[in-house]
Amino acid sequence: MAALLIVKDAIDHGMRAHDKTRLGVDVLVYLAINGLAWIMQTSLVRGLAGVGQDVVLGLRQDLFDHLTTLSLRYFSQQKAGWIISRLTSDVDALSDVLSQGLTTLVVNTLTLLAAIVGLFVLDWRLGLVALVILPPTLVLTRWFQVKSHAAFLRVRETISALTAQIAESVSGMAVIQAFNRERAFLSEFDKANDANRVTNTYAQYLNSIFFPAVELLGVVAMVAVLWVGGRMLGHGSLTIGTLVSSVFLLNLVFQPLQELSDLYGQVQSAGAAMEKITTVLDTEAEIHDEPSAIRAPRIEGDLVLDRVTFSYGRDPVLHAIDVHVRAGQCLALVGESGGGKSTTAKLVGRFYDPDEGAIRVDGHDLRSLELRTYRRQLGVVLQDPFLFAGTIADNIRFAHPDATDAQVEDVAHAVGVDRIARRFDTGLQHEVREGGAGLSAGERQLISIARALLADPRILILDEATSNIDRPTEILIEQALDRLLRGRTSIIIAHRLATVRRADEILVMEHGRITQQGTFDDLLAVEGPFRRLAAQLKDTALKGVGAQLQADDEMPVTGSRESSSASVASSEPE
Amino acid sequence: MSRRFLSVDPPDLSLWPTAKGLARLWREQWKIVTVGLVCAFVMTGLSLAIPLVIQRAIDHAIAPKSGHRAALWPYLAVVVVLAIVRFFVNFTRRYATARTGVRVEARMRELLYQAYLRYPRAFYDRHATGQVVSRATNDLYPIRYFIGWGMTQGIQSVMMIVGIAIVLFLVDVKLAALALVAMPFVAVLTFMFGRKVMPVSREVQQLKADVTEAADEAVVGIEMVQAFGREDDVQARFGVKAQAVRDGVLRQARIEAAFLPGLLFLPTLSIAAVVYFGGRDVINGALTYGQFFLFYQLLLQLVWPLEALGWILSLGQRATASASRSFAWLQGIETIPEPSQPTSLPAGPLGVRFEDVHFSYGSGSEVLSGIQLEVAPGEVIAVCGPTGAGKTSLLNLLPRFYDPTDGRVLVGGVDARDLPIEDLRNAVAIVTQKPILFSIPLRDNLTAARPDAPWDEVVAACEAAGVAHFASELPDGYDTLIGERGVNLSGGQRQRVALARALVAGARVVVLDDPMSAVDTQTERHLVENLRPALAGRTVLIATQRLSTVEVADRAVVVDDGVIVESGTPDELLARGGLFAQLFGEEVSAAA
Repeated sequence: MAALLIVKDAIDHGMRAHDKTRLGVDVLVYLAINGLAWIMQTSLVRGLAGVGQDVVLGLRQDLFDHLTTLSLRYFSQQKAGWIISRLTSDVDALSDVLSQGLTTLVVNTLTLLAAIVGLFVLDWRLGLVALVILPPTLVLTRWFQVKSHAAFLRVRETISALTAQIAESVSGMAVIQAFNRERAFLSEFDKANDANRVTNTYAQYLNSIFFPAVELLGVVAMVAVLWVGGRMLGHGSLTIGTLVSSVFLLNLVFQPLQELSDLYGQVQSAGAAMEKITTVLDTEAEIHDEPSAIRAPRIEGDLVLDRVTFSYGRDPVLHAIDVHVRAGQCLALVGESGGGKSTTAKLVGRFYDPDEGAIRVDGHDLRSLELRTYRRQLGVVLQDPFLFAGTIADNIRFAHPDATDAQVEDVAHAVGVDRIARRFDTGLQHEVREGGAGLSAGERQLISIARALLADPRILILDEATSNIDRPTEILIEQALDRLLRGRTSIIIAHRLATVRRADEILVMEHGRITQQGTFDDLLAVEGPFRRLAAQLKDTALKGVGAQLQADDEMPVTGSRESSSASVASSEPE
Repeated sequence: MSRRFLSVDPPDLSLWPTAKGLARLWREQWKIVTVGLVCAFVMTGLSLAIPLVIQRAIDHAIAPKSGHRAALWPYLAVVVVLAIVRFFVNFTRRYATARTGVRVEARMRELLYQAYLRYPRAFYDRHATGQVVSRATNDLYPIRYFIGWGMTQGIQSVMMIVGIAIVLFLVDVKLAALALVAMPFVAVLTFMFGRKVMPVSREVQQLKADVTEAADEAVVGIEMVQAFGREDDVQARFGVKAQAVRDGVLRQARIEAAFLPGLLFLPTLSIAAVVYFGGRDVINGALTYGQFFLFYQLLLQLVWPLEALGWILSLGQRATASASRSFAWLQGIETIPEPSQPTSLPAGPLGVRFEDVHFSYGSGSEVLSGIQLEVAPGEVIAVCGPTGAGKTSLLNLLPRFYDPTDGRVLVGGVDARDLPIEDLRNAVAIVTQKPILFSIPLRDNLTAARPDAPWDEVVAACEAAGVAHFASELPDGYDTLIGERGVNLSGGQRQRVALARALVAGARVVVLDDPMSAVDTQTERHLVENLRPALAGRTVLIATQRLSTVEVADRAVVVDDGVIVESGTPDELLARGGLFAQLFGEEVSAAA
């Protein structure tokens, strides 16, 4: 900017006054100013990139941290692909604006302001003339703002939908291929891809009108300045240097304006991205610590469900459930799917809070305990275990990251993971890929059981943990479970009687209510839902018991809990 | 067989083939590309013409040497007309070019998606989902911007630079030479910049893919994370990856900071030269004010094309980096080969035979080492064995998810590799161990394998697979949307839907990989009773861990360490006291 005033000086005092020294000085000053601008711009680019990236990093981390605190309900309602887009493409859109955009913004805004001030300093009349284009420019910009904001929102929506479609296809590829569904999926993809292309094209169309229009207005302004300036020059109230410099200054008004508008598109999409990120950040964690929450002390494990009612939507899935598990005892939940077993277990893990009633551990309402300090004392083994990318050892160590190698090996040995690991050259250091590809369901389950064992939890939840495992492996696990359960409160959801019979108490759950309650032997001794369930387990778990049950309703139950464990142990292969 | 393993992780393409690939995509859009280029050419002419007319205006009507002032308005009228024409030309250029980019992006994505549909399982074993998705989405943006803006802008920039040079030399050779002396350095600096920034931008792309992967994993595994209260570990892991992206972007920014302002400073040298030497010429009377204006104005107009070239180069690097990986996938990944002389399947029930089948994943140790198994047409056979024995690997050979590394798999007496893959897969329905359902209504999930299946057949399959049992309780019955946006089914329910889907498929060979592991016992009992009639006439292979499921079968085989060690009816095998008895026998003895 200052550089241009020098040019005016060079024209008026150098060229018109035929003063070559003045001209030389002017040029040197001009170069010095630009040199300074260079240095400033270098540090500006670096400085702003640093600031921008720190913001991006902070945002990405905050967003991720926040996501990890959201309840399972949130994750079951949002597509994984949708959530991931927020963390990746949306944050990247902001990153682009902040790293490249911020520099453009600062440099050009300053240039623009300086150029306008400069115009008025040169000659206020010309300044005013140049400003005639301001109202149409503002109108145009506003129009563009409104239109392109909507357009970019649609672009974001379509790209999100498209990403979700691709993600679903990739994760379901085995089925798509197995059933020759390629064409159907391709046409679904084509639809999403086309929708994205159309919205993108429209956004580009708006851009394509806006920038040339600004350029056109710039020429109009230049012509206006030349027209008025030419007349003033005729009257002698203006110097040629001022006029030419004014035209140059106009360049400095319009070039930044163009670049700023160019940036505007980026800012638009970043704004749209930010909006979506904000919706995630604004989602309140359903399960969160009350201000008055206390650190959970070491849990003994006395667990009470006090008239717990819960619903995912309108209809309750649990109706006023009352349960009491004394410290160190094992509770088994049995019954048909959909009876509320898993929901009960999830409430104990505080993945949800009850709608009515309370869950108390050692007399503390779960809601009064700091969530994390409580969950650190919790162990969960799910039916479909999730393994993280990393080695087998890393996965075992997941819940207890500072465990020593020896501890990991002990646990691996105790559960039989070492047998699986022997299959790989690198043993426990074998790299598991995301989701545990390359390992069978049973192997993944063993690893997840080892993980829970190493976590040394006070309360253990096993949700159909043994359903995917072959009998010899299961026997190994049952033995490990005997050890794992000792001294801990546990809740077991199982379909196999062999697993259930170890429980101190069994609850039969049907339609969200407890329909029968008692020890294994007591329940078998009376006519009721458990007997019916057990009879159906004919071949599944306790063939002998089932068969006898059918043969003789009054059969006294053979084999106490102790003896059954013993026989299980004795029949271990190898 | 020509090769034992399919290539599923090819190295990135080098620059030249990548450029050729991009050029081919660009040429596919030749109509709008041509429109864009023609407009760019006209645009260059107009952008040169406007300052030229203004120069005339200054010299003849504003500050004439002679003192005679011509009328100003005709010059200005011409400028306005030219500007209006330029508006339309510029609009057309931008729109056409942007559309080229958007189309190429969509096209490239389609090519990738089509390829994904063909890629073998081995590919998906090797590459994480996040990476595969990201390559068809985020990674394409540099390509879109490069083609949708960079290519045409680059060509226009070069035309502009050449045009400006020509005009300047025509006006004043000496001054033009002085003004343009800095320009070659711009080219050198730009080139150096490109060389430095390319590896860094590649790295940034990779780091971003890592973040996607970490995000994907955490989101999918959130229940585990929360269950153990390990949020902070996962956050820290994610933080490290996010930090790496930040560092990478900053490295890139530092390089840009070092070069780009330098690129901007060089033109000011030219302007300084024009002010000084041009100014002396004006004083001497060798140059008019108008010509001085022209020099100055054109040099200002030179800044953007030069700057643009710098950007285009950096964008081009990113685009080629991204494209080199995409093209590597498109060209280098082998799909399961289709037979050169396809045979067709015989009519009627199909038998299945495994002849000395060996198999291993990649270069790992052998998972199957000489499987011999004959399944008669219509026979139901249970495949048992301890965890990791190779049951799933064996079953996955049937729909050719993989090909055996040695030996043959015969379906209906024909080597599976001699059948068109589509025919084979129509004949073989599989229920995978992890049931995969799609986020579409239940009805569509059921008919996914055969959309035109008559509804009563679907209902029958649902009865047999125990879907009917819970379907009526869903909010919209069979029209209930399944999945993350709709109703989340339990593991057992998902398995039953997958089972029903396989029954609906009407395939002659049905492969069930532990299809009832998550189903509760009561339902399993129901399934076991109903499955036999529903499977009548079909050849069935069931892998299972449960004796109750085994008893659906006519015969059971036991796989251990990649070979079949036992075969017979369940009762025979139990009595034999071998591995089968070990696998299932305890269920009896435990209760005895």
